[in-house]
Amino acid sequence: MTRDLKSTQPEPLRCCSRCDSPLEAGDLRCAICGAAAPQSDGAGRVETATTLLRCQGCGAAVTYDPDLQAPACSFCGDVLEVQTILDPEEQTQWYLPMTVTLDQARDALQQWMGTRGWFTPSDLSSASQLTEIKPLWWVAWVFDAEAFVSWTADSNAGSGRSAWAPHAGQNQIRFDNILVSGSRGLSDAEASAITPGMDLTTGMDAPQGGGEHPILERFDLPRSQARQQVANAIDTSAAERMQQEAIPGTRFRNVHTSIVLRRLVTERYSLPAYVLAYRYRKQLYRVVICGQDTRYLVGTSPFSYAKLFGLIAVVVVGFLVLMLVLSSL
Amino acid sequence: MPLAPSVRPAEQEIACQSCGAVLHVDTKVLSTTCPYCASPSIIHRPSRPDRPEPVFLVGFTVNHQRASAQVRRWISRSGFFARSDFKRAVPKLTHGIYLPAYLYGAVARSQYSARIGENYTETETYTTTDSNGRTVTRTRTVTKTEWRSLQGHHDSYIVDVLVTASHGVDNPALEAIEPFDLRSLRAYTDAFVSGWLAEEPSRSQQECLEMAQRETLTLVDQKLNQFMPGDSFTNLQSHTDVSHEVIDLVLLPVWSYALRYSEDQPPVQILVNGQTGRVGGNVPVSTTKIAVTVIAVVIVCLLLFVLISALQ
Repeated sequence: MTRDLKSTQPEPLRCCSRCDSPLEAGDLRCAICGAAAPQSDGAGRVETATTLLRCQGCGAAVTYDPDLQAPACSFCGDVLEVQTILDPEEQTQWYLPMTVTLDQARDALQQWMGTRGWFTPSDLSSASQLTEIKPLWWVAWVFDAEAFVSWTADSNAGSGRSAWAPHAGQNQIRFDNILVSGSRGLSDAEASAITPGMDLTTGMDAPQGGGEHPILERFDLPRSQARQQVANAIDTSAAERMQQEAIPGTRFRNVHTSIVLRRLVTERYSLPAYVLAYRYRKQLYRVVICGQDTRYLVGTSPFSYAKLFGLIAVVVVGFLVLMLVLSSL
Repeated sequence: MPLAPSVRPAEQEIACQSCGAVLHVDTKVLSTTCPYCASPSIIHRPSRPDRPEPVFLVGFTVNHQRASAQVRRWISRSGFFARSDFKRAVPKLTHGIYLPAYLYGAVARSQYSARIGENYTETETYTTTDSNGRTVTRTRTVTKTEWRSLQGHHDSYIVDVLVTASHGVDNPALEAIEPFDLRSLRAYTDAFVSGWLAEEPSRSQQECLEMAQRETLTLVDQKLNQFMPGDSFTNLQSHTDVSHEVIDLVLLPVWSYALRYSEDQPPVQILVNGQTGRVGGNVPVSTTKIAVTVIAVVIVCLLLFVLISALQ
């Protein structure tokens, strides 16, 4: 079932009263601004009363045990179940379908090899041997947020005797569909290179395409660490956006930002890609192709030192000839 | 269960739910243990604006043995100037207690101004005398600073400011055993305080709010210091307003020890963070040790002075 962003997006059950960010199951406080999550408390007490917690097994009184970090019966050792701190492993919510076939991925590799530039070996396409092609789904967080950014920085705009001048300002910015890679298999550079080819509106609740045994990468971070990773990405993105859009000048240093976030919505995606390995003269090289658009691919290729030395030789000979001609005049 | 009226203003009469014994408890405690049958009782009182229900709690993870070992280690490392009778004294456990504190958060909006220093280098000429005694002109690169004024606004969330809500433990004493790992915060339930002493707030919420606001201003000042651009800055001035404040009552796990090292001195309060084992307290210093050290240093200086004078 394809994801319809407007109609099937699950409504968040609770939102932070201060920053409007959705709260997830088990959140006692907002992870963004620290405000306490609304609790379903009971009716107000009108009289003083005492209670005694009893063991369900033997009926003896129960006390909290710091070694067990739970209330326990000191007679029969029974441990009372209490609410545990929820910090679950992240789980994929949406899978984007693999719309590129294996053949298309192979063709894209061949085409890419032919466009690697003059310093690539001339026989790269013919002498290379494709050794492995793996369809996989890699994991990432995609977030939307509103941010009120206070910033200070030094830039070359308005500089005088010093090459730098200080500037300050505040800007309201919006983050839409910002992707933060959570993949261990792909490098950040590989993930960034193929991300523009993904259509996030095609999310589904199960992987589709990619053959019989695709690799499904999983998030290997608990929720708290994932939030920290997203927060770090927001800080970095905000500083970059301020340099591009707000801070005057063309050269920057000491860029500081302070962000008040609102309505941070994070979703967990699994994104399709092909990882290809090819061998050229006993050396392995790797290429990653977007699973939804073959125009987005990134990889490594051999460098032809023979061509480089040949070019240097031609330049040196040309220079010597020029010198001879000039000296004979 | 309805209870009898208080016996004294500071005490309240409750009945043990296990053996039926009538107990007199302080009106500021949330839980107690029956001295006859050792059964733990949790006391629920109607909440009032100055006595809210706890919202969060950090559970004990450090047990009595580990807390005592930490205190003994802390005393043994209390430094050269600590009183010897303090180092020899045996700490007595007062109790493991859930200390009431307020967890504060806000949005802080600051208006600031500062003078920002941007460095630049210049080559300047100067005259000096060389090894042959001749006057020569040379050049050198010097770093100078261009000062510019900067004004702006700084908005940020302030989270996790903890202030004590107990008159028994002041804020510096609580800060000495911080931090608490607030990722382990739990929603308050009676089960966590069963068998332990838990105190109700003895400071008013308004007093705690003002303490938290003062701490917030200190935090904002630190943030502004890190926020300034340039190579240096001076004359940083700011005005901060806080809004969207939230303040929630939290119970913190603390082992409290009393150490009496001298008959004529009040006991020293030593606190142990019941989550991390961090120890805090005021170490009484020995005036005799300080005086002897000062005299010894003066004597050594005098001897050196006499020795150097004699050699010259």
